[in-house]
Amino acid sequence: MTVRRLLWAVIPPLVFGVVFIGLWELAIAVFDWKPYFLPRPTKIWGQFTDNIDLVRSSATVSGGNALVGLLVGTVLGVGVSFLLMRFRLLNDMVNPLAVAVNAVPIIVLVSVFSNMFSVTSEVPRRLMATLVVYFIVLVNVAKGLRQVDRAHLELLRSYAASPVQVLVKARIPNAVPYLFTALKISAPAAVITAFVAEYFGGSQNGLGSRITSNTTANTAAAWAYVLGACLLGLTFYLVSIALESITTPKRGASPGGGTTT
Amino acid sequence: MTEVGASAVPAVEVTGAGKVFNPGTTRQVDALVAIDLHVGPGEFVSLIGPSGCGKSTLLRLVANLIEPTSGSVRVNGKPAPQARLDQEYGMAFQQAGLFEWRSVVKNVELPLELKGWDKGPRRQRAMEMLQLVKLGDFAEHRPWQLSGGMQQRVAIARALAAHPPLLLMDEPFGALDEMTREHMQAELLRICGETGTSVLFVTHSIPEAVYLSDRVVVMSPRPGQITTVVPVDLGSDRDLDTREDARFFEKVTEVREALRGHEVDELELARGIGDV
Ligand SMILES: Nc1ncnc2c1ncn2[C@@H]1O[C@H](COP(=O)(O)OP(=O)(O)OP(=O)(O)O)[C@@H](O)[C@H]1O
Ligand SMILES: [Mg+2]
Repeated sequence: MTVRRLLWAVIPPLVFGVVFIGLWELAIAVFDWKPYFLPRPTKIWGQFTDNIDLVRSSATVSGGNALVGLLVGTVLGVGVSFLLMRFRLLNDMVNPLAVAVNAVPIIVLVSVFSNMFSVTSEVPRRLMATLVVYFIVLVNVAKGLRQVDRAHLELLRSYAASPVQVLVKARIPNAVPYLFTALKISAPAAVITAFVAEYFGGSQNGLGSRITSNTTANTAAAWAYVLGACLLGLTFYLVSIALESITTPKRGASPGGGTTT
Repeated sequence: MTEVGASAVPAVEVTGAGKVFNPGTTRQVDALVAIDLHVGPGEFVSLIGPSGCGKSTLLRLVANLIEPTSGSVRVNGKPAPQARLDQEYGMAFQQAGLFEWRSVVKNVELPLELKGWDKGPRRQRAMEMLQLVKLGDFAEHRPWQLSGGMQQRVAIARALAAHPPLLLMDEPFGALDEMTREHMQAELLRICGETGTSVLFVTHSIPEAVYLSDRVVVMSPRPGQITTVVPVDLGSDRDLDTREDARFFEKVTEVREALRGHEVDELELARGIGDV
């Protein structure tokens, strides 16, 4: 049953992917597109395997930056959301601001950060990823801590629960799914931020900078690094989903509020 | 009625209580005015009345979930806030209000957990309560895996878990099918009889109110007030036959008349009293 569902989830996009790559290969042959316009998938794959060591080391640099941003941003975001919950006034001041910040591309700040540190420093990139993750986590977790079912709060009040007990029994468990939603959004965002931050200069050691430095000279190599970037982003996303599925019970997999016995 | 837990102190004593929501604004609602309500020890009292007449509000005043605008509320001889802190009552709301991240049995354990019970006795009591509402096999399920009626039964088990001297119940059987409903009514009467628990019970069903109660308190809206109190002297050992008793139907009629504002036209009466 579950194997079948898994197959149904995997096969259609896989078939689509294969057909897409086939058409891509075919279109280049038929329309005679030049390699600098769009290289063949086989050529990209060749570059990818030829440069696999470099792809791996660059992915480690970019991925490391993203991971540092993800961890530090999450810790900060969760910490501050507890403060916001504790102090209502603070929440009313900070929360609209955080929501607004989530809507603007703060990645542009990276050039400002770059000026604050040495040219070869990874700190501006990590700072950038941290900032992006921080605001996503802050907004979501703060919401989870606040938007507790009113019936739950009344029930706990009827049990004469202390504020700490309300926090532990209702607010924190309620915020957990919100945290995972935030992680699912911010894991890919952290990776993207780490790549794009490399476009703004600094050391040429990450996937982002290798893409830019290869675009003119060797388009197929640039695409090989794009492929590496895709795989890295996917890895982050899958890890965050896996974390969610082992920590929270799968609601969708069970019957709803119907009359099943 | 019973020796256990019976004392001279009234379970609920509401005197001249009123509740105004949003006072001084255009959304002002006089939810309750001049409410006098008395629930004796071990007594079962039902509140009945049209939607919006303030039944839930009155229950929440007794539970000290909201404060009265005027008058006083005492529970087991204590002011309502103190009674809440001392856990003098257990409550079941209109909605089950289960914690979805907890298993069924852990939901029932929650009030005991907050009282500082140890794990062993806590689990044992919770399982007893689940057996009582016939959900022993569902202890490890998650709330969303249960039907609405089953969830409501879990909420009732949770309200009973700490054996509180007073039960406050807001339409707890509303989501149940007729068979389960009658079973739960009988069980509730049995539990309360055995433990001497007092009950303040909100319902929309006239037969349910009559079957369960020692007294039925009839309310009317705008502003919410008590219009009539109907004593139901059907004795303390009520069973399935009670519902077929002529005196039962008399009481049902009496409550229905009170709800209609005393004017009952003969035609309606002739049409029968079973169709609530
Ligand atoms: N928190 C609140 N704020 C403002 N008005 C309220 C609030 N709670 C209840 N009311 C109002 O008080 C009145 C009584 O409401 P209540 O919920 O007590 O009615 P009820 O008798 O329980 O109705 P039902 O049978 O539909 O449950 C209603 O007019 C309602 O709009
Ligand atoms: Mg109500």
